Amino acid sequence: MSTPDDKTKEVSADAGGEEAVASFEGVDEKEQGEGPGGFVILFFIIGFVASLIIGWVIFPKLLYSQKRQPVDFNHAIHVETVGNGCESCHIFREDGSYAGVPKLAQCADCHQEVQGENPEEKIFVEEYVAKGKEVPWLVYSKQPDCVFFSHTVHVKLAGMDCVTCHGPIGESTSLKPYEENRLTGYSRDIWGKSMSGIKKNSWDRMKMDDCAECHEKETGRKSSVQTDKDACFVCHK
Amino acid sequence: MKEEQSKEKVKKFGMVIDLDKCTGCGACMVACMAENNVPFKEDESKKLDSITWLRIYKLTNGKPFPDADICYLPRPCQHCGGKGDHGHSPCVSVCPATATDYNKETGIVSQIYTRCFGCRYCMAACPYHARYFNWWDPVWPDGMEKYLSPNVSVRMRGVVEKCSFCFHRYQLAMDKAYYEGRREIEENEYQTACTQACPAGAIAFGDLNNPKHAVHELKKSSNAFRLLERLQTNPKVYYISGREWVRRAGDNYLKDEKK
Amino acid sequence: MKIDRRCFLSLGIGGAAGLALSPIPWKLADDSAIWTQMWPWTPVPADGETTYVKSACTLCPGGCGISVRKVDNRAVKIEGMEGHPVNDGGICLLGLSGLQLLYGPTRVKTPLKRAGERGEGKWVKITWEEAISEVAKKLGDLRENGESSSVACISGTDKGSVPTLFKRFLSVYGSPNFMRMPSVLDSYELALSLSFGFAAQQGFDLEKADFILSFGSGIIEGWGSPVRMIRAKSSWRESGGKTVQVEPRLSNTAAKSDKWIPINPGTEYALALGLAGVIITKSLYRNDFVKGSTSGFDKFAGLVLSAYTPDAVEKITGIKKETIEALAVNFARAAKPVAICGRGQGRAQGSLGELMAVQALNALVGNINKEGGIFAFPNPGYMAWPDYIADNIAAAGIKKERADGAGSGNFGYAKNLTNRFAETVKSGKAAVNVLFVLESNPLYSLSDTNTVKEAFKKIPFIVSFSSFMDETATNSDLILPNHVYLERYEDVYVATGLSKPVVSLSKPVVSPQFNTKHAGDALLLIAKKMGSPVADSFPWKSYGACLEEILGGKWGKLVKEGFWTDSASSAPVFKTSSGKFEFAGGFIDLAALFAPVNAEGDPKAYPLLLIPYDSMRIASGYIGDPPFAVKTVEDTVLKGKDALVEVNPATARAGGFSEGSYAILKTPKGSAKVKVHLFDGIMPGLVAMPRGLGHTAYDNYLAGKGINVNELIGTVEDPASGLDAAWGIRANLIKA
Repeated sequence: MSTPDDKTKEVSADAGGEEAVASFEGVDEKEQGEGPGGFVILFFIIGFVASLIIGWVIFPKLLYSQKRQPVDFNHAIHVETVGNGCESCHIFREDGSYAGVPKLAQCADCHQEVQGENPEEKIFVEEYVAKGKEVPWLVYSKQPDCVFFSHTVHVKLAGMDCVTCHGPIGESTSLKPYEENRLTGYSRDIWGKSMSGIKKNSWDRMKMDDCAECHEKETGRKSSVQTDKDACFVCHK
Repeated sequence: MKEEQSKEKVKKFGMVIDLDKCTGCGACMVACMAENNVPFKEDESKKLDSITWLRIYKLTNGKPFPDADICYLPRPCQHCGGKGDHGHSPCVSVCPATATDYNKETGIVSQIYTRCFGCRYCMAACPYHARYFNWWDPVWPDGMEKYLSPNVSVRMRGVVEKCSFCFHRYQLAMDKAYYEGRREIEENEYQTACTQACPAGAIAFGDLNNPKHAVHELKKSSNAFRLLERLQTNPKVYYISGREWVRRAGDNYLKDEKK
Repeated sequence: MKIDRRCFLSLGIGGAAGLALSPIPWKLADDSAIWTQMWPWTPVPADGETTYVKSACTLCPGGCGISVRKVDNRAVKIEGMEGHPVNDGGICLLGLSGLQLLYGPTRVKTPLKRAGERGEGKWVKITWEEAISEVAKKLGDLRENGESSSVACISGTDKGSVPTLFKRFLSVYGSPNFMRMPSVLDSYELALSLSFGFAAQQGFDLEKADFILSFGSGIIEGWGSPVRMIRAKSSWRESGGKTVQVEPRLSNTAAKSDKWIPINPGTEYALALGLAGVIITKSLYRNDFVKGSTSGFDKFAGLVLSAYTPDAVEKITGIKKETIEALAVNFARAAKPVAICGRGQGRAQGSLGELMAVQALNALVGNINKEGGIFAFPNPGYMAWPDYIADNIAAAGIKKERADGAGSGNFGYAKNLTNRFAETVKSGKAAVNVLFVLESNPLYSLSDTNTVKEAFKKIPFIVSFSSFMDETATNSDLILPNHVYLERYEDVYVATGLSKPVVSLSKPVVSPQFNTKHAGDALLLIAKKMGSPVADSFPWKSYGACLEEILGGKWGKLVKEGFWTDSASSAPVFKTSSGKFEFAGGFIDLAALFAPVNAEGDPKAYPLLLIPYDSMRIASGYIGDPPFAVKTVEDTVLKGKDALVEVNPATARAGGFSEGSYAILKTPKGSAKVKVHLFDGIMPGLVAMPRGLGHTAYDNYLAGKGINVNELIGTVEDPASGLDAAWGIRANLIKA
């Protein structure tokens, strides 16, 4: 930092007094305010901002791979056409188990031939229905192997709405890209939709704690001796 | 919802094994392994690390020929309830990871493999040697993975596993019941794989609290005993034998000690 | 102003602070934790629709019905079929392990032709057309040369449509050599044909019997139809049925019986005759049945009363005469007593005399063709085969003497003497140029393995239809792999030990996993390729069409329910020349019939006796023990790769052995290194070893473990029948 004496020397040494004055008056606010530690704070802020950007913007892009579904399925049209809600295609079987994403046979019922004009449907009929090949759908809500989830209990017994856990997929006109966590292999819809972990909608995250939260509120069961909450085997296998 | 659940009766699933009918054929051991995705190695003769959730022990009366006698005893996880069935099983009491837990509604001791980090404290605590450790990654040769059942988790190495009283069958039976609008399941809707397979009909499985289930009456037999009763683990597996020496083999009695 | 170290430090601190406020460390830690919970290389089985397929198990002759659970198109669990007349929901550990055979590494995946020497393991993959052509050409050449009777077939069973097709083929081709793997069924058949006078199989209504006297039969260890017998044993606990087990070793059956009577091995026939003598002496036999429906009683009584008194029998068997007398009285006084024989699972034939002696007991108590007794069924007649056309070559060929000698000379009544096959071929007495092997593993399962190996060397062309790379397949020249039972339609007939014959239908549970072909289809293709006249007797387009046609009206019921009981079957008529039950089958020389069978070997060099035993946990027939079953074998039977033999502690001490000591087990047929296991349940002087170990083929889960007891035991020909009467062999244990 320059001392007042130095500054006077500088000014008087200068040939053009106006310039010197101008330069003296045109001093940057920041420079004036910081004093001798100015750069340190600057670098701190640079480092801080940079890592924030890396953490919040770049990291998610690296962590999640964007995969495309094999066929770009339009939920909205189908819900409209078939008209019985989610259960018209995502059916329950007679033994109470849930069929999940429908198999080729179900789709082929209507789509033996191309029904509309969408090029995606053409791909579906030619590559999959004609060849009898099951479509390798990427399931957004796929839970780990240790999870036992009974759709019957939640939909039939508890009367829950599909949207509560799955979000409004039924209204979408195309399938969003499947963002797969490169480390764990699970979909971003399970954990990581909002990197801050703050849930806006109930379907933003579906890890154990999310299920437990609802279970505590709705069932109030205390069958576990260790945790005084629901027992482990209720949701695990 | 909360009210309905508290009205559901507390179940206590248990087993009664008639040792006079057991032939030692081993069908129960294999039924369990086939049902529960249990792995196998090339050399399974080292019984300390051979994983058999249900293991048949061969008991002998120690007498010389021709008075020798043998008896086979199948030993699943005993699902100990601890004193008063408050869930203080030896294994549950020591697990540092809450990987094993006692379910007060069904009486079953659960094992969640994803929480287990393999400290094996539970194996040390279990007096029945009912718990097994995956020292190695499971290897299914050449396409045998196809027979793995999706109803039971496949374990990786480093976790402990044990008999679960085929709990996945309970989950599936309840699913079916809920779908049909019922809240209770019949005795024959939830049976373990070993009970179902036993050709001699030596194993009975059901709700010990339910007077309509076979095990409720069978356990009251005067010939019924449990293993290591005096440890007060309160196990749920009862054994029946008409032979005195077999009943005495159920605990560590001193030679002249009265039962 | 300078950019100095403090700037970079603050850059770092700023970065760290930002990092802590960003999701990176928290998300990475959580994701890593999730990654460790389930490593990516651990399989995650795919979920799907659960369905059940009813079928039948063919892994042993028991014929149980099974229900196979599938998830989408994968089979995931085999369970017993509820309501099936044989097993009603029960199942044994071999049946439960069936999926390991279906999906396992020992499957032969495509037709193979040998390259290199036999047994080297070098194979060339060929197409089915090539394989069929090669077989057809070989057979065609032999037939032209007039050598059609030099073609032979060894099959696990002779019942059911596929073995019948093979037998039909040989008949049309011109060979009498359809042979069935030896078992106690051979002895029963022979005894029945002599006593009852027609080709019959034995049935037992054991559930309703109240006193079962078993001469070494492994009632709960796989005798007859295994699951059905185990269920019967449990039912006797409720009905009060008593079992008495006569055998030298405390088997599981003996331990579970109401009374175990240890007996000197090989002397069971003497005990049976002694018991008959007591029953006759005390007039406890059913007079009306004996007088009215039997012939030859006086001669029989003469022999037993003179030569088999309780004192004499005590000397032979080692059983106290008081025990013998009490047993005879208890047996005869029971309401529905039955005597059964066939050691262990009935793998060994036993002497005709032994079977006749046991049969005589049943005749004395009159429990024949009655509820709770024994039955004689005619051979299965549920199939409607069209007549086949035999040309001159065929007619001439069928009349030639069989390779095993059955049906001619001294053995005129016998149908199957496959136990003699190895010796006749090895010695050159029988010339065999082509051998078909179907659902059996003769190179492993036949006694006296060395002789079998020598015999096989003399057969220039061996064709195996095995689904697995077993010992016989490994040593064959061409493998035409059959579908595994879970991939094929087939009728499964079982009468062994039942009270009424049952036919089950094995159905394809999954589509064929590899390039295999149903043995029935392969045979039909061979026949077609050979052209007339052979092809004329095989008009069917496929085996499936053939099966449907010959089953006729039963096909619908079989497909729907999975089984059909032949409730009309039972022939209470004796068809002997006397029209009655023939004691001792009408043999003239009773002393020759009821002769003792000595174990092979010099007692001085071999002071001990080696007896084999059967275990439910170790499959010893065509199927090699799957990994799950091997896992259940105790470490007192198999430890690492070492076989353990059971020895009485007194005998072991005398030889200087203790628990776990190594020893060389030597018999006249061979020697093997074993470990000693002390067992109080075995008679002193005996050494016992289980059947089913000592495989050299299959995979690492089975091969190289233990010893094949067939390598150590030879055959002992029963002069009265040609059957293999060996019950063991003399042996010695030497310090290793």
